[in-house]
Formats: sequence, structure tokens, C-alpha cells
Amino acid sequence: MKVTINQDGNKFNVILEGRLDTTNADQFQKDIEPLMNGDKPEITLDCKAMEYTSSQGLRMFLMLQKSVNSRGGSMVMTDMNPQVKEVFDITGFSNIIKII
Amino acid sequence: MEQDSLEKYGLDPHCTMMLEEYREHKDSFNRILEISTGCIKNLLKQNGIMVTAVEGRVKSEKSLAGKLELKGYKYHSLSDITDIIGTRVITFYTDDVDKVAALAENSFDIDWENSVDKRKMHQLDSFGYMSLHYICRIPKSMYFDEAHPEINTTRFEVQLRTTLQHMWANMDHDCGYKGEVEIPREHLRNMIRLAGVLELADDEFSRIRTAVNDYRRQVQSLVAGGKFSQVLLDVDTFRSYLNMKPFDKLNRRIAAINQAEIHDASLMPYLRMFKYLGFKTLGDIENLKKESSDDAYQLATLEIGGTDLDIISATVALQDLCIVHILKSGSGEDGLAAFFDELNGPSDYNRKRAQRLVEKCARLPFMNKKK
Repeated sequence: MKVTINQDGNKFNVILEGRLDTTNADQFQKDIEPLMNGDKPEITLDCKAMEYTSSQGLRMFLMLQKSVNSRGGSMVMTDMNPQVKEVFDITGFSNIIKII
Repeated sequence: MEQDSLEKYGLDPHCTMMLEEYREHKDSFNRILEISTGCIKNLLKQNGIMVTAVEGRVKSEKSLAGKLELKGYKYHSLSDITDIIGTRVITFYTDDVDKVAALAENSFDIDWENSVDKRKMHQLDSFGYMSLHYICRIPKSMYFDEAHPEINTTRFEVQLRTTLQHMWANMDHDCGYKGEVEIPREHLRNMIRLAGVLELADDEFSRIRTAVNDYRRQVQSLVAGGKFSQVLLDVDTFRSYLNMKPFDKLNRRIAAINQAEIHDASLMPYLRMFKYLGFKTLGDIENLKKESSDDAYQLATLEIGGTDLDIISATVALQDLCIVHILKSGSGEDGLAAFFDELNGPSDYNRKRAQRLVEKCARLPFMNKKK
């Protein structure tokens, strides 16, 4: 999973590319550390090139969402491909994470 | 700043002595205010009484000098003036004035002789200022400092009133006492008429609150008693229902498919969805749960059974129940797509998801039963 973070003040545009699973979840957690600090972050996760997420990936997104909420910020995931979106749907995660 | 000569106020020697005494005890007055106001705030918090404001002040030297100039002759000593330290509690409801009063009675030593309930002083045909004034002392059981015994002997005033009474009192003060121009009788009459209206409004607010609380208790009792069909679906009733964890069993069943963990999530957004689906009572939801839990479980098995996903949101049971309901009611792909648009916001993907679900579910027993 390749993570590219573009920051403009408290706005973060994060491009996710590839697969997110147990083999690279730890690295992913390190990659998104810059998103875990600061007040009222506005984070957009661009998922156009994300190919797959496992349960471990869902946990990572959940952790990020909780951190963002606790800092009064917002997080949205965009342009998910149907296979990834299905994972969020069948687990009910599309009810708790904003996806557009 | 105030430590300049008291002669500037031009008071007689008796009043000037009282002002000197005021200066000497100013620190104690501030301490009494701090203790009494802190105590009241704690009591309100402990007893879950929401109020508009708790205000406190020690009368300023200038204000006291003004009072002494007008009626200093009435007081033998500074201790005769009971409103140098004042705390005011402004409540939402008239009932709460009495509740706070009871708390104050239990906490402070009350000087009953000088306390006054202005609410009960009006004649049958008069309206106006309505407040409860308690003259209090801090009991030694609450606070005692050997070096400052005056903290327990100095009296302070606690004023209790509703927000509307407070508003009226402020307006009345502005109209009646502030200026040197005499206010025409017509305007004073209007103020008094307004006092009557606000008294009615205060009573009505209390009456409505009591009625709403009675309704809530009644609903909670119906929910607790399982009489769901008698309970209309709204925010309060749905919340009470969710407190019974009605979807935990189905969630656990679904989670067991993949030995998944269940991530807790608010189910309140589904109130909107049930209303969208035309559900009127908690009984409608309960019926759905009874009639379709097995079907929702089949759907979940179909969806996550073939995956290694081992985490689900606590919304899954409700989501799957709603999907099953729509499919069983014959609304098909259009119904599902519209439901997803409503739930997650409109998108082209929702139509594709609806298509996929209709195709998948065609194999499930509940769809075949329908046919």
C-alpha cells in the first residue's frame, strides 16, 4: 500500500494505492502518523487506486476516524472501487465512516 | 483602587463607619461568596438540575455607599445589611425554584425571619416581582476557619427565580427605578400585565415539562413491559428501545459466522430509516426482528461467509434486517437503491449494490418463500 499525503494547513489529501492487509498494516499505521496529530484536521482519503482492504485495514480506518473525531476534525473516503466499497458495506462500516 | 478616602461619598459618620467596616471585611465577603456559590453549583450538579445561570457578586463599595446614602439610617451596623453578598440562581422552571430552595435549606443556615418568598406576597389581583429570597449563613459543618469566624456569622442572600421572572425583574428595574423621569402609568400598567402573562407562561412551561416526563415514564414502562405496539416511534422511544439491546443477539449471530469482533456504533441513525420505511411503532420493528432475523442472518452469511472479514459494525444486523424487509415487501432493486441513497447519500454505486443484492438474494430461502 502506497500512501501519499499532501498537506495544506489542516487539510490533508491522502492518496491510497494498492492493497491494505495484515502484511502491510503496520507500515500503513506508520505512514498515516502525520494524520494523527493536530486540531480539526480535514482529511480526504482518495481511494481511487486502492485495490483491496482486509479487516486489518478496516481497523486502521476506524482508528483514524476515532482520532479525527476526538480532535474535532472530519474524514471522508472518496472514489472507492466497487470491490472495496463492498467490504465497507457488508461489514456495516459504510454506516459509520463517511464515504462519497 | 477603592482604598481612597471615604469622605468622597459625603456620608454621615455612622454610614462612613459602616463603609470602613465593609473595606475591612471585603476579603471575607469574597470568600463567603466563593463558598456559597461553589456549594450551590455543586448541589445543582449532584442533583442534575439544569439552570440558566448561577450569578454571584459582592456589592461594590460605590453601590453600598449609594444604599447607605438613601437608607443608612435604617441600619445599626453593617451586619444588618443582608445583601452585601448575593448569589442568584436563575432556573428554567418554577418547580426548580422550589427544588433549589430545598437544597439551600438543607445546606445553609437560613435566617427565616428575614427570608422572604415574594411569590407568595401578591394579592389575588396583583402581579409583579416574583423571587424567593433566602438570607443565609454558612454552617460550620460546611466551612470553618478559626482565624475567620465572621465567615460563619455574616449573612448573605440567595435569590431564586425563573428565567422569565428574571427577565421581568430586570425590565421592571430599568423602567421603574433607573431614570429620574417618572414613568407614565400606562407603561407601568403594561409591565404589571406582562408579569401576569409571564406567570402563566412559567406555569405552562412547568406543566408541559411534567406532561412530557409523564409521557416518557409511560413509554419507558411500555417498552420495559414489552408492549411495543403501543409505543409510537420517535427519538425518545427508539432510544429507550435500543437501551434494551434488541439487535445484540442477531449481531452476535452474524459475528459468529467469521468469529468477528463487533465494533460498537450508534444505531440512532436507523430511526430515520425506519421512518423512511413507514414503520410507525416499536412494535413494527419488533415484528421485523421476529419475522426476519433468520433471513437477515442468511443474508449476512451470504455476504461475509465467503470472506475472511473478522470485524463488523453493530449496525450490520439493522442494515440486513432493512434489506430483507425491502426485498420481502417486493420493492426490489428500486426500493433497495432508494434505501441506500437515503442511508448513505445518493450515488450511482447504490444502484449497482442494489442490483448485486437482488441477484445474490434470489438464491435465499426467504425470496423463494415470497414467490
